[in-house]
Amino acid sequence: MLKENYSKEELLQRVKELEVEFIHLQFTDIMGVMKNVSITSEQLSKALNNEIMFDGSSIDGFVRIEESDMYLRPDLSTFQVFPWSGEYKEARIICNIYNADGTPFEGCPRNTLKRIINEAKEMGYTMNVGPECEFFLFNTDEKGEPSLETHDNAGYFDLAPVDLGGNARKSMITVLKKMGFEIEASHHECAPGQHEIDFEYADALTTADNIMTFKMVVRIIAQRHGLHATFMPKPKDNIAGSGMHLNISLANLDGSNAFYDENDKIQLSKPAYHFLGGLVKHAKAFTAITNPTVNSYKRLVPGYEAPVMIAWAESNRSPLIRVPAKKGNSTRVELRSPDPSANPYLALATTLKAGIDGIKNEVEPKNKVSSNLYDMNEKELKDLGIDRLPTNLKEAIIEFSQDKTMKDALGDHLFERVINAALYEWNEYSKYISQWEIDRYLMKF
Amino acid sequence: MLKGKIIIADSGEYTRKSIKDLLTKRGYKIYEATDGLGAIRMCRTIYPELVIIDTNLWGMDAFQVGRIIEEDNLSTVIYITNNVNSNFLEQIKKMKVFAYISNPIMKDNLYQMVEFALMNANKIKNLEKKVSKLQSKLEGRKIIDKAKGILMDKEKITEEEAYKSIRRESMDRCEKIEETANRIIDKYSKE
Repeated sequence: MLKENYSKEELLQRVKELEVEFIHLQFTDIMGVMKNVSITSEQLSKALNNEIMFDGSSIDGFVRIEESDMYLRPDLSTFQVFPWSGEYKEARIICNIYNADGTPFEGCPRNTLKRIINEAKEMGYTMNVGPECEFFLFNTDEKGEPSLETHDNAGYFDLAPVDLGGNARKSMITVLKKMGFEIEASHHECAPGQHEIDFEYADALTTADNIMTFKMVVRIIAQRHGLHATFMPKPKDNIAGSGMHLNISLANLDGSNAFYDENDKIQLSKPAYHFLGGLVKHAKAFTAITNPTVNSYKRLVPGYEAPVMIAWAESNRSPLIRVPAKKGNSTRVELRSPDPSANPYLALATTLKAGIDGIKNEVEPKNKVSSNLYDMNEKELKDLGIDRLPTNLKEAIIEFSQDKTMKDALGDHLFERVINAALYEWNEYSKYISQWEIDRYLMKF
Repeated sequence: MLKGKIIIADSGEYTRKSIKDLLTKRGYKIYEATDGLGAIRMCRTIYPELVIIDTNLWGMDAFQVGRIIEEDNLSTVIYITNNVNSNFLEQIKKMKVFAYISNPIMKDNLYQMVEFALMNANKIKNLEKKVSKLQSKLEGRKIIDKAKGILMDKEKITEEEAYKSIRRESMDRCEKIEETANRIIDKYSKE
């Protein structure tokens, strides 16, 4: 994505020139939901002096009442005017959150990612990530509530059928391009109503920002097309869910690909093997972050191309991590478990931390496979020492809470909040009687 | 003869049906929507001449629905309301045509407003077409002038000679004169 490094004065000038009226100061809460503090352009200079305050206790899982004053520090390079037409011209700036005493707030997911990025930088690496984000476009019902329908069944099709979802996707791409995104691919996915838009890789922080921006654009443009966009991982039980594969590579500080070694058998460097080793080692734990909802685990089941087993392979697409054949400067690993309900800042922070922990401790990557894992039975898998990903949020959060590297990655504050939030979610879910249970047991017992 | 397609977006079945009946009798082809996003989907499918939206529409703010429809050039919108207050009037000032229908629906008032709105929408459409035509013409002029200037300067010829030369080249190549002018500008800007 295009980034311009504005000075405060340049930015104020730019806002004036473009006649922007409202500016949304954006940040992301622990659950990965984007929050806005909206100001008028007159208040911008106050914002650029880091003087805009908000009540942190009003944000999900942020802080307790007594420590609620938080400050927003805008990252000027993220300034962006919204290209869709509206009543007023609006723009946004992404912010980091600071405490009243001027220290970075450790519950801010963006601060957390920046901390891990710096840790990697001290080791001589920058993380690059290219995401492949899937989502569903659904219709609303006659009351305007989002439904699981992808086609209007009203009888007004006296004209040729119109691909509303496809048109919406085209419109999303136009808007994203105007916002500086390089779109690599976009297509209908296997399930009806499912779409994928892939954009170019960038450094981890830019990519996390881009994922948040992307989700916002998809939702807003979908609405302009009369559709409801959802990043829920598995909205329907009998069709494929939505994933957010992450194509990860490390670059050396000179920009060259640190995963590439032309002399290796499969052209992977030592750090690449160790990074892979770290991912495999911490996979069970970071799953709580990359797949943070009860619903996430309904996607991670056999039969729908989502990974289930913790293993890696060169070209086979069934395991957790794939190493694509394309090497040289494109050498990368594709992590296939994350889904788009994940908080992108925390998902990248924990996977990067897992990888560099592998490099630091020279962890050899276990569980390379070459055959299709879906064809193996339990015993064969056990003999190979292949474990499976957590099967539900509870299992995942237990693994997560026992992993010291994950605790280091998030810091005490976030670590605790994430665990509490997940356990709360799990308990709420456990109390609920689902239709499946009614259908299964009401008559039987 | 059909007089045009109209969408009625009203969550109340009774008014929706009665407006439909009245307008069908007048020869319009009527489509019904019961929620905001549904109305937008319908617009993007059938591109109606007019959309009538009840301010109490389900699912999404009726004014937002109307703005999206007009901003994205899908159609023209008029509202039905129970309550003509200052907020309502402020909202409809921002719309393409200033017309509304108030409840209870009076047959003659409905017909007049619909006809009004369609006529005005048509006028606006024609004007917009003219403006954009003039704009592109003006842009074309500017390009030709620039190319002329370049030729006069580089080839040391008069304005008329420069124009003739551009025109000749465009006729030889069977292309629009603006395209030729653009190519000349490109060519010399590279040098």
